[in-house]
Amino acid sequence: MRHTPNFAGWHASILHRSDSNAEKLLRQLNLLGLTRDLSWKPLAEAAKPDLVLVDADQGWDELLPWNATRYAPCPVVALLGSEAPSRIEWAMKMGAGAILAKPIVTSAIYPAVVMAIAVHGERRLVQERIGALEERIRMRPLVHHAVTALMTERRLSEEDAYALLRSDAMRRRETLEAAAVSYLARRDVVPKVI
Amino acid sequence: MRKSFKIGILYSLSGPYAALGRECRDGAEFALEHCNRVLPGLIEPVFVDPAGSLQDYVEGARTLLRDHGCRHIIGTITSAARKEILPVVEKHDGLLWYTCPYEGFEANPNVIYTGACPNQHLLPLFDYLLPRFGKRPYLLGANYVWGWEMNRLARELITAAAGEIAGESVLPVDEIYIDRVIADIARTQPSFVLNNFIGPSSYAFLAAMRQLGKANPEFTSEICPVVSCDLTECELNEIGENGEGQLSAASYFDSCTGHDNASFRAVVAERYGVERRVSSFFATTFASLKMCIEAIHTMGGDEPLAVRQHLSSNTTDTVLGPVRIDPNTCHAALPFHLGRITASKGFDIIASLPAIAADPYLAGRRMARRPQLRVVS
Repeated sequence: MRHTPNFAGWHASILHRSDSNAEKLLRQLNLLGLTRDLSWKPLAEAAKPDLVLVDADQGWDELLPWNATRYAPCPVVALLGSEAPSRIEWAMKMGAGAILAKPIVTSAIYPAVVMAIAVHGERRLVQERIGALEERIRMRPLVHHAVTALMTERRLSEEDAYALLRSDAMRRRETLEAAAVSYLARRDVVPKVI
Repeated sequence: MRKSFKIGILYSLSGPYAALGRECRDGAEFALEHCNRVLPGLIEPVFVDPAGSLQDYVEGARTLLRDHGCRHIIGTITSAARKEILPVVEKHDGLLWYTCPYEGFEANPNVIYTGACPNQHLLPLFDYLLPRFGKRPYLLGANYVWGWEMNRLARELITAAAGEIAGESVLPVDEIYIDRVIADIARTQPSFVLNNFIGPSSYAFLAAMRQLGKANPEFTSEICPVVSCDLTECELNEIGENGEGQLSAASYFDSCTGHDNASFRAVVAERYGVERRVSSFFATTFASLKMCIEAIHTMGGDEPLAVRQHLSSNTTDTVLGPVRIDPNTCHAALPFHLGRITASKGFDIIASLPAIAADPYLAGRRMARRPQLRVVS
C-alpha cells in the first residue's frame, strides 16, 4: 500500500441500534479521524456520508436510499452476526465491500473500513470502464458505416479504409468510434443510430 | 488483612527474543521489588515464561486470567504474541500492558500501550535523517509484520519527501548470511540504512557493515549510518564494537538526563551492578508496572476500566517523564531520543523531542505539523 489510508475529515453514518457494538464503532472511527453519527432509521437521501456501516442482521431495504439501484454511492461495511444466506445476500445487495462480524472485535474495524473503501473504488472504476466500453459498442455500427463510406469515396479496400480511420483516430487521440462519428459528420450523413 | 492483587508477568526468557524478554522481565521484577518496599503485600506477581512459543503465550495468558484471577498482564514482546493473546484478554476483560516499540495500527481498549508507535519513532527519525544524510535509504526487514510495515511506511515517507529507495532486502527472521545484502548496499550507495532486522540477523549485518566501512570509507557510520527503532543497550554487549557509531531511536536511553534518571540509575546500579545499562525495554516495563501498581493502590481495586480511567485522567511521574494514557488511543505520549552507539556500549543522545502524543493509525499526520527537532549536540 503506497499511502497509509487516511480518513481525516470523513463522515461515517452508522445504521445500528445503540449497543456495545455501536459503542466500539463510534470509539474506533473517532480515533481514525472520522466524524460519525449513529441512527436506526432510514438514511436521508441528502445525507451523503463518505462511509456507511449498516446492521445487516436487522436491516431492511428502505434503510438505504440506493436499495433499488443496486449501486452504493459510498463504501459500505455490513455488520453481521447472522449466517443466514438471506442476510448475506442483503448485505451484498446494499453494496457491502466488507463484513464486520458481530460481536465486533476492535481489531477488525480498521481492516474492514480500508477494504470496503478499496472495493468501492475498484467497483467504481470497473463501472466507469464498462460504461465507456458499452458506449463504444453502441457506436460500433458507425465504424462499419464510416468504413463503407470511405471504401466508396476513396476507392479503398476494406482493410485500407479501416487503417485510414484508425490512423485518423490515433492522430486525433480519440477512439475509433469517435473518429468514425467525426468523419461521418464531416460528410453530413450521420445515420440515425445515435 | 489488606487485600492483595495478582498481576501476570508474561515474558519469554528463552527463544529468539530472549534478550528483550529478560530485559522486560528484569524491569518488571525491579518494579515489584520497589513497590513491595513501599506497599508490602499489595501485589502478588504470577510469572509465566512461554519460551517464545505462541501457543504457550495463549495458554499462559489464559492461566493467568482464568486460573489465577489476574486482571492485569504485563507482557509480550512481538506483535504476533500480543495479537495471539488479545482475544483471551478481551474475553476475560483484562488489561494487557504492552511496553515495546511496535509498528502501530492498533488501539485496543483492553491494552495500555507504553511502547512507541511510528509517529513516536520512525517519523521523527526520518525528520532528522533526511535533511542530514539524504533521501535515498536502503531498507532492511525481517520477514514478519515489524519489518514489512516499517519498510512500507519508510517507503511512503520517502516518496512523500520526493526521495527514492536505494534498495530493500527482506530476509527470514534468523537469517545470518547477509553477503548478498552487503553487496547490494555497496552497489547502490544509499544515504543511510534502515535496519529492521532483529537479533542474530541484525548482529551479523552490523558486523558485515563495519567491515564494509573499513574497506570503503563511504560506508562508515558517519557517512552512511545504520539506524534502528528497536536497538537498545540490552543488545550492545552481544553486538560489541560492531555497533559503534550507528544510530537508534528510543523513548529512553540509559544516558538520558532529567526526570531523575541519575537517581534511577543509581538504584539500578545498586541492584544489578554499575556495569548494567538500562534500556528502554527495562525502563518502560519498570515505569508501566509501577504505574499499574500505583493506580491499583490509589483506586483500591484492580478493575481494568477504573484503572484505565485513572490513568487517562492523571499524569504519573515516571523515569520516562510524566506519562498520561490517552483515553482514545490507550497509548502513552512518549519522548523521542536519537542515540549514537558509543565505544562504552551506551548511547550518546544527539537529538531529542519532548513527549509526542501517539497517533497509532497516523490519522492526524496530514493535518498537524510536527515540531522541529532540537539538536542537543
